[in-house]
Amino acid sequence: MSAARLIAGLLLSCAPLAANCAAQVGPNTTALAPAKTIAIVGGKLLTVTHGTIDNGVVVMSGGKIIAVGPAGSTKVPGDAQVFDAKGMTVYPGLFDAETHLGLTEVASDQNSNDLAEPSDEIMPHMHVVDAFHAESVRIPVARLNGITNAIVAPASQDSIAGQDAVIQLYGRDRDSMLLGRDVALAMNFEGSVRRKANYDGPSKFPTTRMGLASQIRQVFLDAQAYEAEMQAAAKPDHKGPEHKRDLKLEALLPYLKGEKPVVLGAYESYEVEVAMGIAKEFHLKVILNHVTHAQDILDEIASYHVPVIVGPIYDAPSPDERYDAVYSLPAELQKRGVKIAFSSLGGSGDVRNLPYAAGYAVAYGLPYDEALKAITLNPAEMFGMGDSLGSLDIGKTANVVVASGDPLDVRSSVKQVFIDGAAVPMVSRQTQLRDEYMPLTQKKN
Amino acid sequence: MMAIASAPRGCVKLFAAAVLFMPLGLLAQAPESAPPADVVIKNATVMTVTHGTIEHGSVWLHNGKIAGVGTSVDAPSSAVVVDAAGKYVTPGIIDPHSHSALGDDVNEATSPVTPSMMMIDAFDNSDKALYQALAGGVTTELLLHGSANMIGGQAVVIKNKFGFSRDAMLFPNAPRSIKFASGENPKRVYGRRNELPSTRMGNFEVMRQAFEDAKAYMATWDAYNAKVAKGDKDAVPPKKDLKLEALADVLRGKLYVQIHCYRADEFLTEEAIAKEYGYKIRGFHHALEMYKVGDKIAPTGTGIATFADWWGFKDEAWDAIPWNAVMSMREGVTVALKSDSNDYVRRLNQEAGKMIHYGGATEEEALRMITLNAAWIIGVDDRVGSLDTGKDGDVVIWNTDPLSTYARVEKVYIDGDLFFDSSLAGLGTTHFHGVMHQAGFGGADDEEDEGDGQ
Repeated sequence: MSAARLIAGLLLSCAPLAANCAAQVGPNTTALAPAKTIAIVGGKLLTVTHGTIDNGVVVMSGGKIIAVGPAGSTKVPGDAQVFDAKGMTVYPGLFDAETHLGLTEVASDQNSNDLAEPSDEIMPHMHVVDAFHAESVRIPVARLNGITNAIVAPASQDSIAGQDAVIQLYGRDRDSMLLGRDVALAMNFEGSVRRKANYDGPSKFPTTRMGLASQIRQVFLDAQAYEAEMQAAAKPDHKGPEHKRDLKLEALLPYLKGEKPVVLGAYESYEVEVAMGIAKEFHLKVILNHVTHAQDILDEIASYHVPVIVGPIYDAPSPDERYDAVYSLPAELQKRGVKIAFSSLGGSGDVRNLPYAAGYAVAYGLPYDEALKAITLNPAEMFGMGDSLGSLDIGKTANVVVASGDPLDVRSSVKQVFIDGAAVPMVSRQTQLRDEYMPLTQKKN
Repeated sequence: MMAIASAPRGCVKLFAAAVLFMPLGLLAQAPESAPPADVVIKNATVMTVTHGTIEHGSVWLHNGKIAGVGTSVDAPSSAVVVDAAGKYVTPGIIDPHSHSALGDDVNEATSPVTPSMMMIDAFDNSDKALYQALAGGVTTELLLHGSANMIGGQAVVIKNKFGFSRDAMLFPNAPRSIKFASGENPKRVYGRRNELPSTRMGNFEVMRQAFEDAKAYMATWDAYNAKVAKGDKDAVPPKKDLKLEALADVLRGKLYVQIHCYRADEFLTEEAIAKEYGYKIRGFHHALEMYKVGDKIAPTGTGIATFADWWGFKDEAWDAIPWNAVMSMREGVTVALKSDSNDYVRRLNQEAGKMIHYGGATEEEALRMITLNAAWIIGVDDRVGSLDTGKDGDVVIWNTDPLSTYARVEKVYIDGDLFFDSSLAGLGTTHFHGVMHQAGFGGADDEEDEGDGQ
């Protein structure tokens, strides 16, 4: 795991396009050369917003897409560096709606994990940005398969686990990769959050779902009371001691005012209904998460008119369910008009496999275009970034992927990823290990 | 809907499910009526694994065996004909590493040497994991002891005839396999109790000592047998010890040795111990670092059962790369893919598809990793794993290329009998009409603790 070796590897394997292979710093670096114009020419463009363009051109400059269209009618600037994408598929960088990128390195090594602060159930003041390790080896691994943006969220062990950040998967350090801090509140209403007694220790509240619900309601009320106190203390004629900040309660305020969304995770029908009841009581702006065992209330979920991060699609159906009960869920939600997104989390999930979760949903009824949208424009819009991410449109951030074929098919290979209009070095610790040992596969008999 | 209390969800590990047994599970015992003697699946893209892909091909199943594969077959006119135009046909998928349907009894983690634990004694044939795997095209599974122990128990090989009795699901006359483990798991399980082993050197010494004990045991029996051969009527036989008997069977070459092993250095140590004590290793399981020493392991004849691209969940998986399978294959090692999970077992076809992306395997090479090579690991490659005349009629019909993300299983035949048909209402099973169980062990990943649900 030598960082020095990684950097050396990057210097030796500059992206073939960088005309002047500028000195690059760090494992997630942006090219330090001045912004130049790159034209991706001849590929099949999956624009997401305005269909497929069979022989298309995408021009990127200053970090933005400045032109998109058919080759015949889209001008390639004279000073543009041309990337030949003939025979390839070109699409917007993928957006993973929920990851733990940068919060964990080796899952079994607690020292490398900053997934959740389990000492209490209500922890809105845990900001993932304070733990996000931009230098994580997992980030280059993920972006090599075309994931350019992600929500970084805490794990679901708490009812209110913390606040999410949104990142791009390329930048010289955390500040360069961070596109937004505290963009959403991570909330969970599911059985595993309950505290259970150890065989020889006392239980600590809450140990039941009603306990969880009551605890959430109480802290929301406390936050509202705190805000009233804060406002009273701010009045010029206020007498009495200075208002003391309560970081925990303060963290809840933007969400109680509906200014930012709450990602609300629940799996079973009754959990979804209880959680939405609380959300309605406190006028939260909700993005539902999971719902993998709520097949019998799909119409009701559609009636909430909230977006849904559906999955993991690999969640196993119950013993009385048909084998495809969860595989078909994205299609069932989408056809009821629900805006869906996918995340790579779940089971043995890995961020790089995000597109295949979407592809699997296509096998079980989700229209292809909706599947692609669910890993590009939909999550971008859900988190307030629909103007800058998620499609091949003029003015958007130039996060673009070129692959050998259909992005949702496991057999396709990503050839080049562009983030902020710069060609990302297609290198990770894994490609370096591969290249180091590749000579063993070329035996001379 | 949910007749059972809900299981805890959303754990960080997301691997385990709660123990939920339905004590009154009803099981169909035998098929309601015998399957047709002849079935012909015709007009499909037939992926044989051993001799290429046949466009507009047919597969003829006769009395449970493959009787013909080709552009035309000589089946009798009485054959049931399945028109598979536009579909793909493959051999049934084989999973050489599963802990499905073993309840939460995957690890007898009370001692690091437990070779006489027989996994068949824990096998629950109505576990939903078998059904979900069947719906993913899996027809044969090697159900293994977990990796808590240096020398674990003996596996059971099953055919996924969901709905049949336990006995009817056993793969007839399959070779006996035994599960060893190395690396982090045994030393973590016993180390945290302050027991031997708590280090890798402790791990390997426990193995060596076990074999020394076995040799001493075998010597007492050899001495007794010699006396009997000389006509000694007063000879007293030594006590039969199941554990030492099982270890002796390893040394006698009666067991296929399957070793959970990740690291390059540990492959070398395991092969050295095997050489010292005179047994062969059939397969290294996980083997995520095989790409580093595949050229040295290939001549030993040991194959691997590995993951497509799962990595980084513990230190010994940190150097895992998704090119491992294809690189190891090119270094001369027999490579199979495995699930080691109730989740992956449902979509091994996609794991194989990844091999095309990672290292440029051909579709045939990729498919082989989840069929014939997996059968070889288990030792049943003479009977399953390819579409060849004379092999068992274990065949899957897919709606499209099985290696793509869009593939769905339409029909599964095992021994020429239809066990799954996705066009049927309900579960899609043809022989199962009972209530499924759900094992406590999620069979997820490699984190095999004492089966305590986490």
